[in-house]
Amino acid sequence: MAEREPVIGIDLGTTNSVVATVQSGAPLVIRGRSGSNLMPSVIALARSGKLLVGQIAKRQAITNPTDTVYASKRLIGRKFSSQQMQEALKGLPYVIEPGEHDDIKVKLGDKQYSLPELSGLVLRELKLDAEAHFGRTVKKAIITVPAYFNDGQRQATKDAGRIAGLEVLRIINEPTAAALAYGFGKNINGKIAVFDLGGGTFDISVMEIGNGVFDVIATGGDTFLGGEDFDNAVIEWLAADFEKEHGITLKKDRMALQRLKDAAEKAKIELSTARETQVNLPFISTPTGGGSALHLQKTLTRDKLEQLTATLVERTITLCEQVLTEAKVKPVDLREMILVGGMTRMPRVQESVKAYFRRDPCKGVHPEEVVALGAAVQAEALTNEASDVVLLDVTPQSLGVAIAGGYVRRLIPKNTTVPTSVTEVFNTSRDNQTTVKIMVLQGESDVAHQNELLGEFILTGLRLAKRGEVEIDVIFDINSEGLVSVAARDRETGQQQSIQVTASGGLTQDELKKILEDQADLMLEARVEEEVKTKRLELKSLMNEVGELMPQLQQATQGSEFGQDALGKALKALEQARLAGESAELKKVTDSIDTLTRTVSLFRGVLQRIGR
Amino acid sequence: MAVEEKVDLDDVRKEEILALDAKVASNNLFEFLGVPSGASADEVRAAFREASRKFHPDKYFGKNLGSFRGKLDRIFKRLVEANQTLSDPEKREVYLAANPFVRAAARATTNTNAAFKPEARTETEEARDSERRQRLARHPYLAKATKVQEYLSKAKEHVGRQEYSQAVTHLNNAAQIDPLHAEVKAMMIEVRKGADLVRSESSFKHALEALNRGDEELALQALKTAVNANPLNFKAAHKTSMLLERRGDAREAASFALKAVEAAPRNVEFRVHLARLLGEAGMKAMAKKHFDEAVRIDPDHPEVKKHGKKLWPF
Ligand SMILES: Nc1ncnc2c1ncn2[C@@H]1O[C@H](COP(=O)(O)OP(=O)(O)OP(=O)(O)O)[C@@H](O)[C@H]1O
Ligand SMILES: [Mg+2]
Repeated sequence: MAEREPVIGIDLGTTNSVVATVQSGAPLVIRGRSGSNLMPSVIALARSGKLLVGQIAKRQAITNPTDTVYASKRLIGRKFSSQQMQEALKGLPYVIEPGEHDDIKVKLGDKQYSLPELSGLVLRELKLDAEAHFGRTVKKAIITVPAYFNDGQRQATKDAGRIAGLEVLRIINEPTAAALAYGFGKNINGKIAVFDLGGGTFDISVMEIGNGVFDVIATGGDTFLGGEDFDNAVIEWLAADFEKEHGITLKKDRMALQRLKDAAEKAKIELSTARETQVNLPFISTPTGGGSALHLQKTLTRDKLEQLTATLVERTITLCEQVLTEAKVKPVDLREMILVGGMTRMPRVQESVKAYFRRDPCKGVHPEEVVALGAAVQAEALTNEASDVVLLDVTPQSLGVAIAGGYVRRLIPKNTTVPTSVTEVFNTSRDNQTTVKIMVLQGESDVAHQNELLGEFILTGLRLAKRGEVEIDVIFDINSEGLVSVAARDRETGQQQSIQVTASGGLTQDELKKILEDQADLMLEARVEEEVKTKRLELKSLMNEVGELMPQLQQATQGSEFGQDALGKALKALEQARLAGESAELKKVTDSIDTLTRTVSLFRGVLQRIGR
Repeated sequence: MAVEEKVDLDDVRKEEILALDAKVASNNLFEFLGVPSGASADEVRAAFREASRKFHPDKYFGKNLGSFRGKLDRIFKRLVEANQTLSDPEKREVYLAANPFVRAAARATTNTNAAFKPEARTETEEARDSERRQRLARHPYLAKATKVQEYLSKAKEHVGRQEYSQAVTHLNNAAQIDPLHAEVKAMMIEVRKGADLVRSESSFKHALEALNRGDEELALQALKTAVNANPLNFKAAHKTSMLLERRGDAREAASFALKAVEAAPRNVEFRVHLARLLGEAGMKAMAKKHFDEAVRIDPDHPEVKKHGKKLWPF
């Protein structure tokens, strides 16, 4: 069986991550080794010094709040000094420190981790899940990001993939992935909207589907609007009440904060089905002056929850209005409305969406799994010739440069189909000027500093000439992944100009290289171990296959001498394989794989000839 | 390069890519999208989607496309630009203003259809328009806006007469007043393109004059500028290549000969010249491909006959 190399799609979520693939022509979620389709995006450093990822990390969060990282996607590719970050930091039980170039580092034990490294751990775990599923190494993957992610956040996510040892074929947008999965195998023509409210981010996209072309018309969102914010609203309410009653600020106590968070999310989820629920946190605090421990006990009703989170829900609808206007589409023009993300299970969210779009959302789309399924569909489309799917995605935010007076000149407006590029001419403004500095910005404000600074580019080595005489073409390019690059050339001479890039926020090229190198050292050992592991998986699936074929062969050969002989040999090979599997010696395992592969092809050959 | 290049594409697709790539630099976006001049926004968008099915780079993910990769990229980005420009009323208007010839063609086509077209402007559109005018009138920067409009219309006049450098001056003035003005900015791009074409032509003329005076150094510089300003100026590319060859720089001569062939793929003389240069540089296989292509285009061409003997032994 000459199988194609497996490719996977990964939804790297704020709260949960999912890995999927296309198998026998249909997308399916790969169940993790822990037995669940969703893997919590949680990383922890256990007391033993071991790094834990997923369910096991989430389970120990309450007892280990400072060394448990959740919702790291909210930090990836951001700058430490940004307003939003400073706000967010206040509510986190784990420790954040500034990196060397305004990036963010998380402190676990006595080591600092960059965000791409942490997300890399989550991706690595999913990669291993996929390898367990396929029984062989998996390298190629598509990873999804919120449509509203900017260049820095996308770049950092891609770095995370590389750190996890993945070849990231493509970064694609979550709502677009959802639409792909929804449209898979159906012949759909018309406009749809995807409303994705997840754990950390909100995206709304309007697209038109026709003849296999998925054409995104407009997209919008907020990378700081999701389930986390709903939880925080509940935490605030619980903590404020407790403070009023006992004069104690619970949020200062990291352990208490982690328990509050846990309880808040649980209550929120329960209220999607129940009308009210109890929040019960015994021994949440011990008064400093001594005295008996305090308990937190409160009833939260659905009405109260809705009241606490009303502004959040309203904000999603405002963004919907905005995007539909940009798309020049009215709710009635839509053929379908797709709900994505765990938060869309909240009744209030569903009601508001229904009221605004004046229709019932599409049934039969699994809100937590659909994004990964779509990523798998696109991975398949890219690597499989026969595919008829074309994705026309857009850049979610405008790209521009800073100009005199602190303003922005917009070069590529938002909702432009990618890949795209634009050439802008820059002049020297002084005689014999040899460098020009260009600040590249992403965002919608006309005022430069209210946009996200993607990087500063310095054109160097310009030829000597009078002011204004040197004209430089600067080519800004946004690729299919929404990643920005810049090139420059002298208009007169056609000569390429060198560009110096100052990274901000994300990892620099050198840092990434260093991480990968450090890892390579560590991995030399690990790799052999890893290889044995995957080979053993391969061996196991071969053993199963032989086991399944044996009774068929026995029946087919009806006790003939040849059959007896072949079966006897197969039994011996299986026994050997079992021993090889236990030995964990690479050579023995690969030898056994060879023997069993031959056995399988022999059996299949015989069965085929006999016509079964 | 051309059809004979060995890549993961069938010949039909190669031809399509070559044909469209040759139009990338043309100013008529309607033609580029393959729709009638003046086609509606919906028609434009539909044509763009259809073209994406063939020319989206993702359709060829991981394939070996050789020189076709760059062409495909260029084509798709131009398709995006065409779609973005023509399906947005404001951008379309700016584009048409900057390209009077396209506007004239668009008028001609839409007028013939006028009888079948329902009243294009609805009442709400009229209302919205007048509201926009009123809003503008209330704007504190009205004075500024008027000034910008003046410069703009002057610039447009010059564009109409293909006087691009004057147009640039006016647009620069306008940009000084209002650096964020979308129309000024868009027009600047169009005008620069026009200016490049004009510059390419005039550099070419200077080059010929310099050659007559025997100043090869200056001629070469002017020729390179001409090719640079407009890569589709095949005359300049060919001339540069000839001059370089004469001066003994065979390698660079070949690279300009290639540019000439890329700009004018069906010109037999250019091809034979390229084949000869390649052959002399020892790149026999490539030389043969180009010569074969020349024969395919026109077996009776005098250049083919003339060099046929010398080039046949490949
Ligand atoms: N039944 C429910 N009712 C309300 N909220 C729920 C329910 N189930 C899950 N959630 C919330 O949904 C969020 C997780 O959704 P999901 O798994 O779609 O997010 P994610 O993909 O990890 O995040 P993102 O897409 O923003 O990166 C969490 O905040 C969780 O509390
Ligand atoms: Mg999600």
